[in-house]
Parts: sequence; structure tokens; C-alpha cells
Amino acid sequence: MFLAQATEPLEIPEVAWSSFAPELALTAAALVLLLIAIAKGRQQLVAVPAAVVSLAAGIWLVTQQLVVPGGVAIALGLALPALVFAFPRRGSLVQAWGAGLALVGALVLTGWQYLTVLEGGGTEVATIVPQAALAGALANDGIAFFTRITVYLTGLLVVPIGYGYLQDRRINRAEVEPLLLLAVVGMAALGTANDLITLFVALEVLSLALYVLAGLARRDRRSQEASLKYFVLGAVASAILLYGMALTYVASGELALPAIGSSLGLVTTDRVVATLGLALITVGLGFKVALVPFHLWTPDVYQGSPTNVTAFMAAATKAAGFAAILRLYLVAFPGLQGLWVPVLAVLAALTMLYGAYLALVQRDLKRMLAYSSITHAGYATIGVVAVSDAGLSGTLWYLLTYAVSTLGAFACVIAIERTRGGEVGLLELRGLGRTSPAIAGILSLCLLSLAGLPPTAGFVGKLVVFQAGVQAGLTWLVVIGVLSSVVAAFFYLRIAGTMFLEDADPALPLPAASSGLTVGTAVSAALVVFLGIQPQLFLQVADSAAALVR
Amino acid sequence: MGWISITIALPLVGALVLAVAPELSARGVRAVGMGATVLTLLTSVALLTQFDLSEPGLQLLERFTWIPAIGADVALAVDGVSLLLILLTTLLTPLILFASWSSVTDRLRGYVAAFLVLEAAVIGVFASVDLLLFYVFFEFTLIPMYLIIGIWGGTLRRYAAVKFFLYTLLGGLLMLVAILYLFGQAGTFDYEAVRALELTITEQRWLFVAFALAFAVKVPLFPVHTWLPDAHTEAPTGGSVFLAGVLLKMGTFGLLRYALPIFPDATVEFAPWLLAISVVGILYGAVVALMQADIKRLIAYSSVSHMGFVVLGTFALNATATSASVIQMVNHGLSTGALFLLIGFLYERRHTRQIAAFGGLAKQVPVMAGLWLVVSMSSLALPGLNGFVGEFPILLGTFQENRTAGVLAAFGAVLAAVYLLWAYQRIFHGPLEGADNQNTVDLKPREIGVLTPIVVLIVAIGLYPQPMFDLVEPSVDRVLTEVGVSELEVEPAATTSEEG
Repeated sequence: MFLAQATEPLEIPEVAWSSFAPELALTAAALVLLLIAIAKGRQQLVAVPAAVVSLAAGIWLVTQQLVVPGGVAIALGLALPALVFAFPRRGSLVQAWGAGLALVGALVLTGWQYLTVLEGGGTEVATIVPQAALAGALANDGIAFFTRITVYLTGLLVVPIGYGYLQDRRINRAEVEPLLLLAVVGMAALGTANDLITLFVALEVLSLALYVLAGLARRDRRSQEASLKYFVLGAVASAILLYGMALTYVASGELALPAIGSSLGLVTTDRVVATLGLALITVGLGFKVALVPFHLWTPDVYQGSPTNVTAFMAAATKAAGFAAILRLYLVAFPGLQGLWVPVLAVLAALTMLYGAYLALVQRDLKRMLAYSSITHAGYATIGVVAVSDAGLSGTLWYLLTYAVSTLGAFACVIAIERTRGGEVGLLELRGLGRTSPAIAGILSLCLLSLAGLPPTAGFVGKLVVFQAGVQAGLTWLVVIGVLSSVVAAFFYLRIAGTMFLEDADPALPLPAASSGLTVGTAVSAALVVFLGIQPQLFLQVADSAAALVR
Repeated sequence: MGWISITIALPLVGALVLAVAPELSARGVRAVGMGATVLTLLTSVALLTQFDLSEPGLQLLERFTWIPAIGADVALAVDGVSLLLILLTTLLTPLILFASWSSVTDRLRGYVAAFLVLEAAVIGVFASVDLLLFYVFFEFTLIPMYLIIGIWGGTLRRYAAVKFFLYTLLGGLLMLVAILYLFGQAGTFDYEAVRALELTITEQRWLFVAFALAFAVKVPLFPVHTWLPDAHTEAPTGGSVFLAGVLLKMGTFGLLRYALPIFPDATVEFAPWLLAISVVGILYGAVVALMQADIKRLIAYSSVSHMGFVVLGTFALNATATSASVIQMVNHGLSTGALFLLIGFLYERRHTRQIAAFGGLAKQVPVMAGLWLVVSMSSLALPGLNGFVGEFPILLGTFQENRTAGVLAAFGAVLAAVYLLWAYQRIFHGPLEGADNQNTVDLKPREIGVLTPIVVLIVAIGLYPQPMFDLVEPSVDRVLTEVGVSELEVEPAATTSEEG
């Protein structure tokens, strides 16, 4: 059934459910969590029927020889009533645990998919399988797998990191976790999307969820401002992207990305229209991943949004956006490579330099991290313009290392924000290394990783994309990346230095981590170190991911 | 696990113990630090016993797979040069910890742990035979050193620490680009494989510049030296000793290990330039040292001058000079390290480093004055002490290759005598005036104990340097053969390309 394929053109294609099993599970979980939130006092009324359905589905799946998905369905079905009965009066705890478990389930399903595809034996089968899903609308290839891993992991870490923060700010409303799950689904779908329509729908699903999440703090003007800015600018970017897609369709007459790719390779195709389409698509996607000069929304939105949402946006949206960029440019537009490679290379160079330069003069920590995230979009683009397997796997891997490092950094910001309220400026970090060495240490570790120093994850991330860049003959771009890294190191180091080299201000309250935050931060930090010292496992996955795409 | 990996692991184990141990008294922390570093010293001596002097290549190879996905291994091996520098490192680290026994009390655990991590990283730099691993260790030394300067340093410590960090990072990252390029050519990060590459002269030029820049910052060579006086002045005593004694050697070691044999043609081509830069550095460092009012800054600039000699010898590309430059690395580590220790001891007593504040101290602190004199003499290359056996062959070899450079550099040696003896005279001779000077107490037994091994080595190497030459000459010859052989090959290659 995984290899389902439409036999006749007019027949409705057989739906290969397994190709989007993780998203399916997450969507169901989001719906159930939303219903539970609506049910308020009568949570059991929702939980029990949902559990029964889930158990029944799970048992049916197991009888169909699909043990892993069945197992996940059964486990989630059992967990749901257990959670409701365990925390009868604490709805937000049910939501958080429910979302977390659903994400764990999604990760398990992703792993199962990965193994199933590889089971086919070698890359030949694997490259056939992806195209078959939903008549080519979804591509279950390497990009999809790795993006899933990154965004699910990010979601899984954001839930505990944000839990206490939402409680403190009294914005722990019931829609948070369902929206988060939907955003994650949208991101995973964006990584899987193999035609223009699916790609656009996925992008809108994740964007809409994020617009709402950004404005979660209803009484906070900055949060409202962030939400509105993100929405207005995001809508414009979406419109531009859609226009670009339309022009691409006009030029090629195709919606499926591989078909566009082969059509644009033909001499008969109208290259002017296709080029216009490509340009508009570049603008639209450049906005989503915050490439200079389409980055202007980033600092305000990152600064104003609730910090856990910022963390999620920074880490996961980037991964999903780059997944779309990778697939679009490498699958649909290889015919126009001579055009977009230099353009994207220049954008990457601008992004790296400008982001680093502006981060230098920021005083607010969240704003600084926002500019740093812009810089990192530039590094990730190096892998795209390398146009090689090494570049593809490099970008995917880079985004994972960036995600864990930036999550860890934002988690520490949350810990500091919780007791100090409001914004965290550079000056308020003074002497943190003395008063709370654990948080200061982990924050410094994550910053060093963002700066790309060994032996952290960020170093191996930069190493791999730089390697791909040099191999592709883009040494000049890599040298610019190096220069920007040095500038970036300066401001990361300044934060670390303020914490460790200056004396504490006794008037400031000490940061405090809730248990969820502690777990999330510790796991992020552990991943930063683990991926830095022992990157082999995930690098291998990223490498085979590249092999799966071509 | 072989001896090399044990030598790297031991300090790390010590640091780990300090990191996880719940409650430790100051005494306990120091005991852990001393225990780990002394054990490391013992294992590095064991390395020496395993080493086969007749074999010029890399020995005692240990290889573990690390990241097969990008072709990086943990590969460790030593030749004579790296073994000598490892011994220098493992000798100086316990002495540093011993020297800061009473001067560092604030956040002691972090201080000791930082030195342990730093020691491991530096040994890793000297022992790596995989380019990526080398780079990782090379860059990793920045973090502990940044903390050492930044936390335990003087008033301008943040500025100095950041300057140190950024200068070295920039050089290092450019080297990383070059390493990645080499990987693209060789398909592996393995040192011997990269060394066997046949690169075109254009490639060699660019890559040589990237490598040489990284190492020039570390050494530091003349135009990129400005971080050093700041770092030395602001660092705590232990930091200065380690910086001068070991970290600067990473630069000269890198030149000899990587820049010369991998890019032989470019080396020959650029050698006159590097000789010129070294001579400028020697003279500039010496003249500026003359004018310093702060004794620590004076020694810092003298480091610029002395390290210039090492680079001069390296790029003289002559068996005498290049071997002696390796010896001189060790000599500089010992004598400048000892000078920084003495300055530290003096600073602990007086809390000033202004030369003008001192005078006539020889009457008050005869032991310190005596040791200071011996160490200064070693630094200014008095025959019979270790400085001479390094500096003299360097000058001799350079003179054979490039007369002008040799003559000019000799002036640097003269100036060294002037600034060192003049400083000695102003501090220790003259009338003993002022209550501060009259109340300065002499070295305590612990402090004498720290200096004793260094002074013994200074005299021993000065009198009988042959074992050290025996250790490094085969390795240096191997490098020079590579450079020399390719020098013969470059001419026909160049002509053919012109014809083509």
C-alpha cells in the first residue's frame, strides 16, 4: 500500500495513508485536544470516545500488519484518558502532555517511515516510492524525512519549554497546543509538498497558526504588534509567492515540481515568464526564511511574540522554509540554475553580513537572536546554492543544529524573563555566571554553538555547509561566511562575557526554571554537545536523505 | 587507547572530576589539578620512552573513526617536534597551577578546570594528524584561554580577552576554508594524504596565505601581533605563562607542520617575505620593549621579538636554522615563562608592575634577583644557557641563506640584551628607597620550587643541547627534504606551463 500508484488517469488515486501518517496523527491529536479544551469540565466525554476510536483504529492497523502505526495509535489512545483522569482540573497540563506525546508518536512514525523506505533496498526503490504518494502531490523523500525530524523535535522541545512561561504570563489558553500542532503539521507538509498547490496550502497552514500564536499575549501591545506585522507582511509575501507560482504554471503548464523541472528544461518553454515566476517565488520564500532584504519583519516579530513562540518560529519555520526552498530550486528550477544560483548566492552573502552587522548593535537579547537567526538563514543558503548532494544534506543538517542551539538559547532567555518580567537587555545579564551558573553556562554553550565553535553542534553544521560551498567552487561565499562568523562571534561572546566576566547586580532577581523548562533546556544543551561530538548518526541520515531526493 | 590519547584524556578527566564533584575544598581542587597534570607529565615522559629516535616520520599512530560521513578521524601521532612541545606543555601546566597556589582564590575550581581543558586541547593540537581534528583543537583552545584572561585577568581583561579571541578566530576560520579546500582535493582530512597532494602553484599560494595568516596571528608576527601585549598584560600570571610558553608555539608549530610541507613551492616563494616580516618583528618588538614602563608589557613585546627569531629560523629553510628554531620554541617557553612567573610573584608582593616603582630590590630579595638574572640571561642568549643554543644557530643559518636578514636580526639580539638588562638594573639595582621597596619579601620555598625545574632545564639545555637536537632533527629534515625536493621540481614545471 505504500507503493500505491494511480493506474488510470481518471481514477481517484489510492491514498497512501502511510506517506503522511505522522501528520495524520498530529492533526487528529490537535482536533481532540481542541475538543477537550472546549469540553471544559466534561473532558471525559471527549476523551473516552476519542480513545475508543483511536484504540479501534490501532487494533485494525495491527491486524493489517502495520504494527508500528497501530502501536502509536493504541498508545495515544490509552494515554489520552489516562491524562484526563490524572489531571482532572488542570486542562493546560493535559494539553501540554497530550501535545508532547503526540509529537513523540509523530517522531516514532517518522522513524518507521524512514526504515520502511530504506527497507526497499537501496536508493533505487526509494526514489520511486516518494513520487507515488498521493499521485505525486507528496514526496516522501529525504528532505521530507529530515524536515520532519527537525520540526517534530523542535515542537517536542518547545512544549515543555513554553509551559511554565505561558502559565506565568497567563496566556496558557487552550488553543496554544492545538495551534502548535497544526503549525508543525503545516511545516512537515511543506517539507513533503511536491506540487505547487500542496506547497502553498502547507505554507498557509503553518503561517496562519503562527500569526495567531504570535499574538497570543492579548494584553501585550508588542505581541499584538508582532502578530499584525507578521500577518500583513506575511499575507503580502504569500500573495507574491502565489503570483510567482501562477506564472510558473503559465510557463510550464505543470503543477507538480518534477514536471515543472522537466518542462523548464525544454527549449520551447517561455523563459521570461518562468524567470518572473522564479523571481516572485524567491521573494515569497525569502520572506518566510528571512533572507536579506526580505527580513524586515523578523526583529519586531521575534521580539514581540511570546518567547516560546519566537523560539519555535526561529527554529522550525526556518527548517520548513528551507525544505521548500531546497525542493523548489533543486527539483523544479534546475533548468534556470544559471539565474538563481548567483542571485541566491548574493542574497546569502548579504544576509550573512547584514544580519551579523545589525546584531552587533542590539541591546535586547531577543532582538539580537532575531538578527542572528537572519544570519543563519544566510549560512543555510550556502548549501542550497552549492547545488549538490553535499549541499542538500548540509543545509538539512545545518538547520537541525541551528534549531537545537537556538532553542536552547531561547529557553535560557525564558528562564531569565520569567522572574524579571519584560525584556531582557544585555545589561541585565551581568554576573549571571556567578548567580546562576547553570543557566549562564547553557546559554553560553548554545551561543558558542550558534557562533560555530568546536566542539558544539553549530561547528559541525557550519563545517558541513562550508565544505559543500568550497566543493561547489563558492569559496568567495564561504569566505564571506567566515567573516560574518567572526562578527557574529563578537556579539555572542559579548553576551557570554557579560554573564561571566562582570559582577552581578544584586537587585536583579535570579532566573528560575520550571521543571518543564529545565528538561527542555537540558535536552537542548545535551543535543548541542552530542551533535557536536558525535554527529555521525544524524549526518548519515542527512546524507542518505540527499541520496533519496535524486 | 595508546599513550597519546591517555595523555590528552587525563587532564580532561581531571576537569570532569572538578565539574561533577559536589563539594570540594580549595585544597581538594588543587590536589585534583596537580594530580591530573603531574600524571599527564608522567604519561608524556612515557611517550618519550616509546619514541624511536631514528624514525623521522610520525610515530605511535592511533586512529579512531569519528565522523565517517565527512571523512574525519581522530588520528593522533607524534614526531620529534610535536613530542618536544607536548613535553613543554605538560611540564609547564603543573608548574603554573603550583605557582598560582595562593594568588588565585576566586572561583578556583573554574580556574583549575580551565587550565586542564586548555592543556588537553594544546596537546591535541600538537598530536593531531587529521586536519579537521587539528582545527577543532586549535580553535577550542580559545574558549578556556578567553575565560582565563576574562575572569581572572586585570582591569582591562574583557577588552584583552575579546581581542585575543577575535584575532585568533578570524585567522583560524580562514584556515578552515583552506582545510576544506584541501579536503576537496584529497577526499580526506588525513595529514599524510594531504601532504602527498600535488597542488598547483596558484592553489599553493592561496592556501599558504590562509594557513600562514592563521599561524601568524598565533605566533604573533609583526602586523598582526597587537593582541599579544594586551592579552599578556591583562592575563593572570598563569595565563601569561601558558600563553607565552605554549600557545604561541601553536603558531610556529603549525607553520612547520602544515604550511611548509603541504605547500613547498609557495613556501620557497614566500620565504623571503616571511624573513622580512620576521626581521621587522624582531626589531620592532625589541625597540618597543625598550620603551615600556610596565614590566609585563616589556616582556610581552620581547615575546614578539623572540618569536620573530623562531619564524626567521623556520623560513631560513636550512637544516641548522630550522632545527634550532624548534629548540628556540622550547627555550622561549622556558625563559619567558619563567620571567612571567617572576613578574607574577613580584606583582603579588607589590601590586604594581611599573618599573619606576621598583629599585634596589637585589639587596632585599637576593634569591629573586638571582633567578631573574639567570632567566634574563637565558632570554638574551648568553652562551652556556639555553637561549644561546637556539638563537645562535638560527642567526648562523639565516646568515648563510640571507645575509641581510641575518645581520638585521642580530641587532635584535643586541637590543634584547639592552632591554632585559636595563629592566633588571632599574628593578634590582640602585638605591633601595621607599617603604614599599624596603618591605618587599623574598621568594617563598614554594615559589623557588616552581622556578627550580625551569632554571635547571635552562642550564642543562645550555650545556648539553644535543639530545633535543637528536629528537627534532630527523623530523625537521623530513620537512626540509620535502620543501627542497619540490624546489628542484618547480623550475621545469613553471617553464612548461609558460610554454603551454
